[in-house]
Amino acid sequence: MKVRSKVLAIVALVGLVAGACGGSGDGVQSGEESGGLSATLDGVKDGGTLYVLTSAEGASTLDPQRVYTGAELGAWGSTFARTLTSYKPVAGKDGTSLVADMATDLGTASDDLTTWSFTLRDGITWEDGSEVTCADVAYGVSRTFGSEVTAFDGPQYAVSYLDIPAGDYDTDSAYPGPWLATEEEQALFDEAVSCDGKTITFNLKVPVADFNFTVSLLAFAPVPEAQDTADQYGLKPFSNGPFKVETYEEGKELVLVRNENWNAESDEVRAPKVDKIVWQFGLDETVIDERMLADSGDDKNAIVYGGILPVNLQTVFGDESLKDRRTDGFDGFVTYTMLNIKTVSCLEVRQAIWLALDREALRTAAGGPFTGEFAQSFVAPLLTTDYAPAKLLDGTKGDGTPNTKAAIAKMNEAKEKCPEVYAKATEDGLRFDHPDTDTWKKYMAIWIDTLGAAGIKINDNPIEQSKYYATINGDQGDLMSAGWAADWANASTVLPELFGKGGGFNYHNNEEDPAFAEFQTKAEEAKMETDRAAQAKLWKELNQYVIDQVWSIPGSASKAQNIVGSNVRGAYQWLPFGWYNLGDLGLAG
Amino acid sequence: MIFFVLRRSFFAIVLLLIVSAFTFVIFSALPSDPAALTCGKNCRPEVIESNRERLGYDRPLVEQYGAYMKGIFAGRTYGEEGSSIHCSAPSLGYSYDRHECVTTLIASTLPVTASIALGAFVLWMVIGVGLGTLAALKRGRWQDRVATAFSVIGVSLPTFFLGLIFIMVFVIWTGLLPFPRYTGLTENPVEWFMSLLLPWFVLAIISAATYVRMTRNGILEVMNEEFVRLGIAKGLPRRRLIVTYVLRAALVPIVTIAGLDFAFLLGGALVTESIFNLPGLGKLTLAAVINSDLPILVATTMVSAVFIVVANTVVDILYGYLDPRVRVK
Repeated sequence: MKVRSKVLAIVALVGLVAGACGGSGDGVQSGEESGGLSATLDGVKDGGTLYVLTSAEGASTLDPQRVYTGAELGAWGSTFARTLTSYKPVAGKDGTSLVADMATDLGTASDDLTTWSFTLRDGITWEDGSEVTCADVAYGVSRTFGSEVTAFDGPQYAVSYLDIPAGDYDTDSAYPGPWLATEEEQALFDEAVSCDGKTITFNLKVPVADFNFTVSLLAFAPVPEAQDTADQYGLKPFSNGPFKVETYEEGKELVLVRNENWNAESDEVRAPKVDKIVWQFGLDETVIDERMLADSGDDKNAIVYGGILPVNLQTVFGDESLKDRRTDGFDGFVTYTMLNIKTVSCLEVRQAIWLALDREALRTAAGGPFTGEFAQSFVAPLLTTDYAPAKLLDGTKGDGTPNTKAAIAKMNEAKEKCPEVYAKATEDGLRFDHPDTDTWKKYMAIWIDTLGAAGIKINDNPIEQSKYYATINGDQGDLMSAGWAADWANASTVLPELFGKGGGFNYHNNEEDPAFAEFQTKAEEAKMETDRAAQAKLWKELNQYVIDQVWSIPGSASKAQNIVGSNVRGAYQWLPFGWYNLGDLGLAG
Repeated sequence: MIFFVLRRSFFAIVLLLIVSAFTFVIFSALPSDPAALTCGKNCRPEVIESNRERLGYDRPLVEQYGAYMKGIFAGRTYGEEGSSIHCSAPSLGYSYDRHECVTTLIASTLPVTASIALGAFVLWMVIGVGLGTLAALKRGRWQDRVATAFSVIGVSLPTFFLGLIFIMVFVIWTGLLPFPRYTGLTENPVEWFMSLLLPWFVLAIISAATYVRMTRNGILEVMNEEFVRLGIAKGLPRRRLIVTYVLRAALVPIVTIAGLDFAFLLGGALVTESIFNLPGLGKLTLAAVINSDLPILVATTMVSAVFIVVANTVVDILYGYLDPRVRVK
């Protein structure tokens, strides 16, 4: 699951304040805007310095094996960290198409989909001019296992897919990563990931039809062992892309300059234009917005990482002269509320919770329509191939307001069909786990109030934010808040992960639900399907199935708004990452 | 006098030890779990426990404090062999959030804060003492009223507000100055000066306001003293009387406060650094608060405490020089 950066979280938090002040309620409405002239290459020239303004104190990390923020995966991948496969660098649906990057093609799978091989192109070089080897790729992949360094920060697909025996290390693997492994332990990894000249072969313990998508994650990027500085690798990663890290100082700036040893002939994905990209960290959000609106000096060559303050959305989207500099669209995230099927086993009670919920009040508390649209799927709209709005529960109001009458009717049905769960929901109360934040204090007031109107009692259970996911991993409440974005452009990283057996983020305890077996069978079928169109059809059906079972209640398909300087070109939303294709941005004028 | 200095220095060291222990205990008691912070979203409770053990957070607090203090003098190694990180003495911990030894982070941010503090200090002393003296000497006249008005406005203005106004006016609207982007003094003195101009003035205006009042009141008070009246009666020139006798006597309490204010600023001009995007100690502390980065929080608090205690000691010693009665006591 890609995570939202801290800066986006802060923006969302600020959004509450603005929302309370009517910042985006009446007047200008949110809608899809693709950036106009700034999204084109009109008048673009080679050279110049592109600035990235952000209130974040730094990147979440530059270490490829630790990065898990959507925008950063795209930004680092397009600049200094090439992978075996990548995405087509274009706007729109085509941008979710997989293309070969360091590999010569999209990989070759065995018939049973448990072995995948990729061959490296000729002429791929590191920033010191040395060749990127198969061993570098294998070493990079091995770093994910070293949890004492990579700290579970990045995607764990290497751990869950590679055919390495289970063991006692923190990753539940018998391999502890390259830093601590004995010769015997290293041999276990070398059997799972082997090199033959320029060909790397991954032996998987489960069949994976879209493993070529998996290797597009930076967790599968190469790292030369001689350059690895373990925990500190993220301060100066070694580049094999068109840019390299010149300096990185958290709280100050990250300077990416052109990598003179990047071999353009070996790279069909990237088309760099600027000479330098300078990230300026720690800027005040108000100042960023004012600078972008003023659009003077170097700020004409600037983009923003973190979006527009909600209080300025009216100004930005109410001014037609900014049409060629602004974007408004989905960021790939879907928020939802998980239900614990073990304790809330009654479908009617779950349906009543859904119907009684005031999604509109929750959205207003979050900042209004600019924050997102009511989700009709657990798959984000950005996954255009797999996304289809599901038919929601009968009685659900399109405007997001509660249908208390229908909810009460469902509770009356529940009283007859499942009196124990009914009693728990109405008398003992349902425990709602959520991070202990100011935002959630407001949300909980709405939950308690609106569900209370349907006779459902909610017991608030705030959990210290840094421990939230670790806590619900061990002890699930009756309801739990969460958010999710696909790891790659395939719903295989959404539905099985959230609702399937062994799913990395399935806290629903839904395996005992009578409906689970059918879901699991269909999910396995979809995962094994190699025809992409047929697979997409299966994912859409599965999403409808999950919606019907009310294992979770979809909340909001998140949106983000942004503005760029008037000289910036090529600023289209790269759908797999929900942000710009940073390495390809250019400047006009 | 030597005994006085030694006694003050001894108490300063004792105080620093108490402050360090207190800071360590306070931050350890916070609800944020440093072990949980070293583990990503995919973490499990047992992994957090394993990290706690590996990083020594499971040991008794006294033992943790002992290891911390030992690190200051002998350096410290974190993690297991193969992936370990060594922070040389004086080690103030390791930030798993920033992947850097805390001492390295403080060493890189301290020059920024010191640059801000030094320039702002000079400016506010010149403006504050200058305007305060003028107000006192022109008591009741328009100069006095202007200085008093400046003082009231300066005291009332929040730093972030004045900072934003300065940025809007001088950077965004008029374009007279570039947006502040810190450059080291040795790297480019002109850019260093330009990047600090606005923050210096913001801090100077806000701090000088207090000094205008203190200086004005101090001078007026001293001018009523008998020795001043004697000087006037004996026909001492006004300029000499003011500069040599009145100002010197009036500045004694101001120097005391100024020393502490300067030390306080050295601990980090949190708001100013944030508004002007200056990577100083204050901004480091703020980021550590947001990210619950305990090793940095403990270290910056202790460094700030060192500045305050040292400044207090220096001021006490200076006070002893300036006022013999203190030494006698």
